[in-house]
Amino acid sequence: FQDQAEQFFRSGHTNNWAVLVCTSRFWFNYRHVANTLSVYRSVKRLGIPDSHIVLMLADDMACNPRNPKPATVFSHKNMELNVYGDDVEVDYRSYEVTVENFLRVLTGRIPPSTPRSKRLLSDDRSNILIYMTGHGGNGFLKFQDSEEITNVELADAFEQMWQKRRYNELLFIIDTCQGASMYERFYSPNIMALASSQVGEDSLSHQPDLGIGVHLMDRYTFYVLEFLEEIHPASQTNMNDLFQVCPKSLCVSTPGHRTDLFQRDPGSVLITDFFGSVRKVEITTEALALDRHVAGVESKFPEEELATEPLKYAEQLPVAQIIHQKPKQKDWHPPGGFILGLWALIIMVFFKTYGIKHMKHVF
Amino acid sequence: VVEGLALLDLGVSPYSGAIFHETPLIIYLFHFLIEYAELVFMITDVLTAVALYLAIQDFNKVVFKKQKLLIELDKYAPDVAELIQTPMEMHYIPLKVALFYLLNPYTVMSCVAKSTCAINNSVMAFFILATIKGSAFLSAVFLALATYQSLYPLTLFAPALLYLLQRQFIPIKLKSKSFWLYTMQYASLYLCSLVVIICLSFFLLNSWDFIPSVYGFILSVPDLTPNIGLFWYFFAEMFEHFSLFFVCVFQINVFFYTIPLAIKLKEHPVFFMFVQLAIISIFKSYPTVGDVALYMAFLPVWSHLYRFLRNIFILSCVLIFCSFLFPVLWHLWIYAGSANSNFYYAITLTFNIGQILLISDYFYAFLRREYYLTHGLHLTRQDGTEAMLVLK
Repeated sequence: FQDQAEQFFRSGHTNNWAVLVCTSRFWFNYRHVANTLSVYRSVKRLGIPDSHIVLMLADDMACNPRNPKPATVFSHKNMELNVYGDDVEVDYRSYEVTVENFLRVLTGRIPPSTPRSKRLLSDDRSNILIYMTGHGGNGFLKFQDSEEITNVELADAFEQMWQKRRYNELLFIIDTCQGASMYERFYSPNIMALASSQVGEDSLSHQPDLGIGVHLMDRYTFYVLEFLEEIHPASQTNMNDLFQVCPKSLCVSTPGHRTDLFQRDPGSVLITDFFGSVRKVEITTEALALDRHVAGVESKFPEEELATEPLKYAEQLPVAQIIHQKPKQKDWHPPGGFILGLWALIIMVFFKTYGIKHMKHVF
Repeated sequence: VVEGLALLDLGVSPYSGAIFHETPLIIYLFHFLIEYAELVFMITDVLTAVALYLAIQDFNKVVFKKQKLLIELDKYAPDVAELIQTPMEMHYIPLKVALFYLLNPYTVMSCVAKSTCAINNSVMAFFILATIKGSAFLSAVFLALATYQSLYPLTLFAPALLYLLQRQFIPIKLKSKSFWLYTMQYASLYLCSLVVIICLSFFLLNSWDFIPSVYGFILSVPDLTPNIGLFWYFFAEMFEHFSLFFVCVFQINVFFYTIPLAIKLKEHPVFFMFVQLAIISIFKSYPTVGDVALYMAFLPVWSHLYRFLRNIFILSCVLIFCSFLFPVLWHLWIYAGSANSNFYYAITLTFNIGQILLISDYFYAFLRREYYLTHGLHLTRQDGTEAMLVLK
């Protein structure tokens, strides 16, 4: 009984997944890619393997021809931290990052030919971290400069995930302008959401780097990254500390969070419940005895086959009947009165113009 | 039209769908002729050309007679000999008009596309023929037919009336009794034929629902498929609560120029008719290149204005370029996806500006020639220096 009560206060997850999405393309949106890669780095460092991370980057900054330091994506001025490295596995790249693909990843409605690395193979004991960054507005997030995902769509996708038991708990972090509008519509249980700014506020970028020429990070994610750099897999820091990251004095915008759908108290939720891949290990001192006679399971099916009549294809549509049917003759004809009236008028006009004396030529 | 006939065969009113917006007489016409559709459109084009040929032949005679009269009455200034039109140069104008219409790429395109604009053009050409021949009855009947087809030829009532009055030598004074008598006669002929035709269409389908489908459609512009006109982009961008206001403004724009032009051009009703036709083609709610072809067919009639046209080179370049750019930008927008509707809209704007400038250029040239005819070619200001005519 006490175990069960304790279970209530601990997360019941057995695996962790992360879906990290950067939705902007073009060189001047470098910071969104750097944001996503920073979170990717932290998540990987804390133990979630690449097989459990779906990384979607809308553009390639490391090999962008405008990058003065190719094959790097820096997250800090003075190039202190290269978040690209040589072990980054991008699952959805460039034009594959679309609203449709994102929603298919979340809901699992993926064509059978999709490789495993592009699937979110979560189950009902998975804790999923979803991080999205890019350009957004009140109620929408822009994908690739050509389409948008709305907060309603996102809420419905999460509800589909809940109904298909694809998550145990979900942490949704968004770093865009007016990010809080994206979590307003959630209605599924066990979702906690954080956003970098409230509705009506813009999320600002951190610092430009004069060597690279663009802003390297957004403020909110920069301070989240700084916070996460101090977390190690055994740390007991909880979510309340994450809510305090980046106060208004540092971030200019007001970060927001939403915990009303979450069943546990945020103070008891560890950061590593979502950002890391900490397994719960139960040590037992009992011994289990396995039965010797495990081989030779008897066949349950009788040997003789039931005599059934030969199966044949049932006729769904009486094709032979249809193709030999004559087409229905239902022509429309103009009513007699109309024809009479029309031609009478035409003849009247003709004779009015040319005179009655021509009538004898007609007859 | 095929859709409408198919719906009729299924026993449903053809106006119940949103595609068919033609009048019942077209249903009747095509009910029997739908298999020979290409032939029908070719014959209509030929008929239009023949009607225009005969009309302009008659018109030339009228112009020449009037010119002679004015010379004898000494209304012209002494040094305008080079501005007078001679029979020699006017001999080939009817043929040129017919050829302008038949060989115009716009006409060919609308014939190939089997657009019912060809039928509208044909009716309007017959109307013009009837007016120039002087038969008020036929002119009223054809004008009623043309108005019944598409609402805008209503504005051609004014030039036709002015021409017929001129032909009957009735002076256009507001107090003159014979003026009002003739106007009433013509108006009543026109309205009666219109009413008769509409009632006849009622008997075709035993329902009045062709009226909102045809006239309601023309006036309220619900369908915003891109065409070469100006309505679709405006109304695609507009907010709902403004659309009624702007629909009214745009529709009034078509009818608005009739009265000022009638006052200015009351001595020259056929030119007025040309300008009015052009205004209809530019400002109507669903213009097509067939409408443009109709008024362009009249350009040879005023070829003697060539020396007064100021922008004709730029305009012809604009019109030709825009005609070529229309399909290119359409392809880029709809098929290639690398342009957007603004490109196509810019070309419609440019095309319509070109047309408007063409009309105003001809208007200016016409008025200038008239002024020179009565005041002499070499105008001087009060202090003796050379003067220049400006259109205000």
